[in-house]
Amino acid sequence: MESLRDIRQNIKAIKSTQQIMQTMKMISNARIRKAQDAMTAARPFAKKMLEMVTDLKQEVLALPQPEMGESWASRFFINRTGNPDKIGVLVITGDKGLAGSFNAVILRALMKFLRENRNKQIFVFAVGKKGRDFLARLRMPNLQIVYESVGIFPKVSYAHAELLGEAMMKFFLKENLGNITLIYNDFKSMASQNLVQQEFLPFDHLPQAQPDQHEFEFEPGVLDIFKLLVPRLIKANMYRILLESQAANLAATTNAMDAASKNAGEIVEALGLKLNKVRQAGITNEILDIVNGAEALNN
Amino acid sequence: MVKKLRLNLITPEKQLLSNEEVDFVALPAFLGEMGVLPGHVNMLVQLGMGSLRYKNGKEESEFAVLGGFVEIVDDEVNVFAEGADLAEEIDEEAEKQKIKAAKASLSRKDADIDFELAEMELKQSIARMKVKRRRR
Repeated sequence: MESLRDIRQNIKAIKSTQQIMQTMKMISNARIRKAQDAMTAARPFAKKMLEMVTDLKQEVLALPQPEMGESWASRFFINRTGNPDKIGVLVITGDKGLAGSFNAVILRALMKFLRENRNKQIFVFAVGKKGRDFLARLRMPNLQIVYESVGIFPKVSYAHAELLGEAMMKFFLKENLGNITLIYNDFKSMASQNLVQQEFLPFDHLPQAQPDQHEFEFEPGVLDIFKLLVPRLIKANMYRILLESQAANLAATTNAMDAASKNAGEIVEALGLKLNKVRQAGITNEILDIVNGAEALNN
Repeated sequence: MVKKLRLNLITPEKQLLSNEEVDFVALPAFLGEMGVLPGHVNMLVQLGMGSLRYKNGKEESEFAVLGGFVEIVDDEVNVFAEGADLAEEIDEEAEKQKIKAAKASLSRKDADIDFELAEMELKQSIARMKVKRRRR
C-alpha cells in the first residue's frame, strides 16, 4: 500500500503539470486569433493572383512553343516534358509534439505516399521539425531532403513563403520534376483539422477562365507579366498553406492540452479519494489497536 | 459629379487600402512613373520599387511600394505589391541600419550568404529611404 506521503506528492506533481498544460492551452488559444486574422488578411491577394493567372493562361499557352522542350509557362501548366519518375513532396508538420494527432496524421500520409512511390526518385521539402527529423531517420536511398525550414511556427511571415516557393520552383525546373504534392493540415474549425494531400504543380486543376469582358493593355508584354504572376501565385499559395498549418497546429495544441488538463483533473480527483481512503484505513486501524489494547487490559 | 478612382492596395500579408476614393494616382511602373486619372485605359502593368502617391481633393498620401503589379479596370486601380509602407511610418534610422547590414554582408566574400536576398533587402531599404526623404 502506498503511504499518505507518496499519494500527496503524486497529487502535487500532477497538479503542477496540469497548471503547465492549462497555460499552454491559453497561450495557443490566444495565438489562434492572430493566426486566423493573418489568414483572412492573406486571402484577397491569393484570390486575385489565381484570377489573373487563370485569365491569362489561355493567351500565354497559345503563344508558339519552342520546337525542342517546352516553354517556361507551359512547364507550370502542362508539364509535357516533366519526368514522371522524379517527383517532389512538401510536408508541413509542427515543430513540437503535444498537439494530439496533428503530426501523426501527416507522417502516416507521408509514409503511405512514400510507399506508393517507392520506385521513384523523391525530392522532399520539409517544413517543421517533426517531419524533418522523421525523414532524416528514414534513410531511404531514393529520398532526398532538398529544402528544410524549422522553427517558423507560430510566427509565419510572407518571407518564409517566398523562400519555400522559390525553392520549389527552382527544383521543379532544374530537376525536371513530374509533379509536386503537398501534404499538410488544413484549418477547418477550432475543433477539427483536415488532412490535405493534393498535387500542386503543375497547375492542371485551375478553374476554367471566364470569358473576359475587358480588353487589357500590358506593360511590359503579356508573357513578361505572366512570368511575374506565376511565382507570386505559387508563393501566395505557400503562404496560405503555411498559415493554415499554423492555425491548425495551434487549434490541435489547444484541444490536446484541454483534454490533457481535464484528464489530469480526473486523476487528481481519483487520487484524492484514494488519499482519504488510505487515511481513513489508517485511523480505523489505530482505533482497532486502541480498543483491542483496552480490552486486553480489561481481561 | 466628378469621376473618381477606386484604389485598392494589397500585399500578400494584408489589404492596406480598400476601395479608397481618389482623384489621382502616381505609380512607379517598371518603365517609369505613370499617372492614372479616371477614365484610364484598362491595363496590367508591372510595378517597380518606389513611391506610390495618391490625391483626394487636397489630401495627399504616399506609400513606399516594393515591386509587384497594378491592374487598372474601369476606374478601379488594384495595386498588388510585394510590400508597402506608409511614408510617415518609415523609420529612417532602422532603414539606415538595414542598408549598412546589407552592404556589409554583400561585401563579404564568403559563400554562405544569400547574395540575392541581401541585394533585394538593400534595394528595398533604399527605396523606402528615398520616399521618406522626399516627404520632408
